[in-house]
Amino acid sequence: MDSERSKKGRLIPLKTTLEVEARDRVIDVYIASIPLRQASNALNTVRRLIPNDGGLDLQHLRRFSKPSHVPLHVQATIASVKSPASGTENAESEAGELLLVVGSVESISKETIIESLCSVHTPSAIIITQVPLLAPTSQEQATRFSSQYWPTVYKKSNPFGPHPSLISRAEEELAYEAPKWMALAVAVAQETRAAGTGEEIGVVVLRRHDGIATPVAVAGDMRWLNWPRFKTGNPAAHAVLRAIAMVADGLRRRKEDAQLAAATSATGLFRDEPRGELEQCDSVAGDDGYLCHDLEIYCTHEPCVMCAMAIVHSRFGRAVFGRRMPRTGGLCADGELGHGLFWRKELNWTLFAWQWNNENEDSTAQKGDEDLHA
Amino acid sequence: MHEALAMATLALLGDETPVGCVFVHDGKIIGRGMNATNRTYNGTRHAEFIAINDILSQKDPNGLPLYGPEILADCDLYVTVEPCIMCASLLRQIGIRRVYFGAQNEKFGGTGGVLNVHLGNGKRVLETDYRVDDGKDASKGRCVEGDYEVSGGWLREEAIVMLRRFYVQENERAPEPRSKKERILKLEVEPMIEGDNGC
Ligand SMILES: [Zn+2]
Ligand SMILES: [Zn+2]
Repeated sequence: MDSERSKKGRLIPLKTTLEVEARDRVIDVYIASIPLRQASNALNTVRRLIPNDGGLDLQHLRRFSKPSHVPLHVQATIASVKSPASGTENAESEAGELLLVVGSVESISKETIIESLCSVHTPSAIIITQVPLLAPTSQEQATRFSSQYWPTVYKKSNPFGPHPSLISRAEEELAYEAPKWMALAVAVAQETRAAGTGEEIGVVVLRRHDGIATPVAVAGDMRWLNWPRFKTGNPAAHAVLRAIAMVADGLRRRKEDAQLAAATSATGLFRDEPRGELEQCDSVAGDDGYLCHDLEIYCTHEPCVMCAMAIVHSRFGRAVFGRRMPRTGGLCADGELGHGLFWRKELNWTLFAWQWNNENEDSTAQKGDEDLHA
Repeated sequence: MHEALAMATLALLGDETPVGCVFVHDGKIIGRGMNATNRTYNGTRHAEFIAINDILSQKDPNGLPLYGPEILADCDLYVTVEPCIMCASLLRQIGIRRVYFGAQNEKFGGTGGVLNVHLGNGKRVLETDYRVDDGKDASKGRCVEGDYEVSGGWLREEAIVMLRRFYVQENERAPEPRSKKERILKLEVEPMIEGDNGC
């Protein structure tokens, strides 16, 4: 047990394509410096001027901020527009001012702001600054936004992907045993490599019942088994496809007579039979007919586009992989391909996906391996 | 394309989603496939996989494989529905020359429907590169290894009607048939919106 725990690492939830696209979108807004006592009047005026903030959702931004709480560059801009005269005049009331996010530069003009806020109190400064357009999807992002742009709140929600609380609940369930299953995937990868039948890629499929996980398929890559050293080997013998086929064959064997499934051999395209010492298959499919419904899949590498889509087609519930494959992987949204297949609204199935970051290993594709399709 | 449709019909008769395909080499069909996800309990057994397996499983009189995987580089695929993202990636990795499809696959399409896996593995920046390139010198010089040509809309109406036939059939089978509308087979098909599927 100790040796398992010593393999330190952590699960990093993947970002969805929408999350990645929205990550750094900013808009220009007007900020006005308002006396503390006039704050609510000023906000009411702004609400009348720009109903619904002109269709923008600014809920993630602090509407008012103390001048000392905004990033230094914003403080500097405000100081630069304040006339020296008004500065001395209001020296004591300075502390009593708040900065107000008025609205986007598209929704209102500076003249209108001055004109309408005059009835309340002439703002001592109006500036334009950039703020994040969309709500942050993590506390880290909110902190970054706050120090870069404007005080921003993280509301523990993610409009671009699975709800953070669902992810962390799932993560709790996986975290303890993740090193163990990843180690098994690595072991079967080494086995297949040693046998010369495939690349060093391995996969473990688990079924979780009442929190207890049992392996239903363990498969290594077999792309070079009975296959000419031509191009990138046999795609149908990728570990993910083999694992899925093993689950299916196990089920078919149960449902039909054994002979039908046993007829599969290592010719043609498919390499579905378990071969190595570690490879195994003990399949129990979901009752709804979808083969891998809500099963978990652990891969040594980020699966290629084909395998990632196979995981979606098979309706897995959770996927964990070790090494990121920016050039060929299909799960990540922030790799070179950017497909993020684990969570796309066009597809009829979404799942949770994590990268298992092992502290002792390089977790991205290494030199010479970048173009490998896992 | 008619041969691919015949394979789709066969799938329909076996209660599978009716997608069929054929691989053609030198004007001759060397492999046939139809969707087999229900029969095999395996959601990845799409027509393209089955057909490639068919090609590679054929033996000569001496019991040796008749074709090796390298033959696919000189093959054209005719498939009734646009290859899904998974199959589009398979075709890229195994190396195909050209794909002709019938109906577009808006849900899972890998050659234009959702992603463009046939071009630079679907990398987004590349797409614009291609467009700029097309205008200038109409060459395919920018194609990355593994890229293939795609052309859609062939016998599209027939392919769509076939899919509808399947959904009607499925609904009739359901214990409580859904609304009447869903049980009536609609035969007219809306015209295709021209999309670019070229390489
Ligand atoms: Zn793969
Ligand atoms: Zn497919």
